[in-house]
Amino acid sequence: MEIKQVVVSHDGTTRHLNAVSTAIPKGKVTTIIGPNGCGKSTLLSVMSRNNKPLEGHATLENRDLLEYKPKEFAKKLAIVYQQNDIPADLTVEKLVMYGRMPHTSLFKKRAEEDEEAVTWALTCTNLLEKRHNDLSALSGGERQRVWIAMALAQKSEILCLDEPTTYLDIYYQLELLELVKQLNEQYGLTIVMVLHDINQAIRYSDHIILMKAGKIIAEGEPRDVITKEVIKEVYGVNSVFHEDEQLGLYMMPLSI
Amino acid sequence: MTKKIFSFIAVTVLLVLTSIYAATTGSIQMSFTDFITNFFNSDNADMAAIKDLRFPRIIVAIFAGAALSVAGVLLQAILRNPLADAGFIGISAGAAFTKLFIVSFVPTLFFFTPLAAFIGGALACFFVFLLSWKSGLNPLKLILVGIAINAMFSGLTEAMISFGASATGSITSNLSLKTWDDVSLIVTYGSIGLLLAFILYASCNVLVLSDKTAKSVGFNVTGARIFIATVAVLLAASSVVVAGVISFVGILVPHIARRLVGYDHKVLIPFTALLGAFIILLADTLGRTLFSPMEVPASTIMAIIGGPFLIFLLRKE
Repeated sequence: MEIKQVVVSHDGTTRHLNAVSTAIPKGKVTTIIGPNGCGKSTLLSVMSRNNKPLEGHATLENRDLLEYKPKEFAKKLAIVYQQNDIPADLTVEKLVMYGRMPHTSLFKKRAEEDEEAVTWALTCTNLLEKRHNDLSALSGGERQRVWIAMALAQKSEILCLDEPTTYLDIYYQLELLELVKQLNEQYGLTIVMVLHDINQAIRYSDHIILMKAGKIIAEGEPRDVITKEVIKEVYGVNSVFHEDEQLGLYMMPLSI
Repeated sequence: MTKKIFSFIAVTVLLVLTSIYAATTGSIQMSFTDFITNFFNSDNADMAAIKDLRFPRIIVAIFAGAALSVAGVLLQAILRNPLADAGFIGISAGAAFTKLFIVSFVPTLFFFTPLAAFIGGALACFFVFLLSWKSGLNPLKLILVGIAINAMFSGLTEAMISFGASATGSITSNLSLKTWDDVSLIVTYGSIGLLLAFILYASCNVLVLSDKTAKSVGFNVTGARIFIATVAVLLAASSVVVAGVISFVGILVPHIARRLVGYDHKVLIPFTALLGAFIILLADTLGRTLFSPMEVPASTIMAIIGGPFLIFLLRKE
């Protein structure tokens, strides 16, 4: 996917994205990071067509995103949001089945292909045993995985995740990031996600987009992008970097 | 599963029994056996009177109840708000206003009253959407906007009546003196609306998810909303044209229906139609027979039951 000179404004005056250009590498894990209000979720929403650019355009396979029909686009890209309403009286399987919508039409009934995709999505997210459980009976981490399973059932090439770890404790955070890694490595899914935790971003991404005030400050491999100077510039925080055999590169914020 | 089947059977039986009771009770009394044996006997004067006077009333009550209840379910699905009701948010009032306007000022266009009522209802629905859209269809704001729209159209209707518009059976609901013409009207439009509603169950189910999520699976949220709203307005308008404004049915019936058969619209919509038909027929029949020869309109009974019920719902939330 390519983003060219995109401008987005939510209120018509402030430019929440100011002439942003970038490209999402296929088959890689890309993470967008930056301070609060820097436009990282807005950038993700342009990619998922939830915000229309005022200027510039986003293209996928050399076609403008806005040219795609809803179902056609849903086969290309799936997105999971950080917070979701839990509908009453719905089982895990039924919710995940909604992910098959782009592949079905009014007159086509649940086919074998749909069943397989749902079972695959539930297997990936380790929810196979819970498939007949009601959503309200799941834990926070499980619920987040159900929404990912629904997105997986879409069988799209690109999977976007908007702050997937924000409301989870560290156990579920790791579990989720490991799942993302596995999806990328085993099934070649292109991942685009927004994260808050810089160390998680370093550890789990191939490509990092660092943003501040509606602009991209730096992008590239984690080690090249995230440096002491950049952290000071973007977050206004002094930090220490350390290379550890077990952890790899990691950063500790020091002072402000 | 058994609870669902049992609920369907129980309400069907109740509906049939109430229909027979309604047909045989009143100023002309008839025993059940006489009713059955004379059902196809055109020479029996009592039976002929019942067929002419009570059958239309019963059929209108059944269709009005089904239409208004299903309109409630549809509105609740698209607005994601359990308190949405055609009567509450001004759709019925809008329909009643345009209907009265045509009947009083351009009676030559009488043939088009259903269409006029539909336009009035659609207008009210459009205003409610427009004015509460910015708040992201915030449930509380939506209800407040609806109450305002409802007040405006009811006020206009009352103003027209004080200026001498013919108010016979138009503003308050009245199910008496229904004719077979009324029946054919509500059955035609009501059936179309109900049928469309049954077909739309899958879209209603998807709308339960948030808009963002529904969109991400390739669902045309706006298109579905507009279409479902149109069907809801058609249902509400067709019942207002024939039976007048009856509030609270659209909240009360779907709520009970969800308790009995769950949230899946595939089952919920048909069951709501059945339960709504039963409840309005029961309300009308009780209003007609309990204090006879005095008559209490079905809408009054619904308001008396519905008010406390709404408070109960609000307290629970």
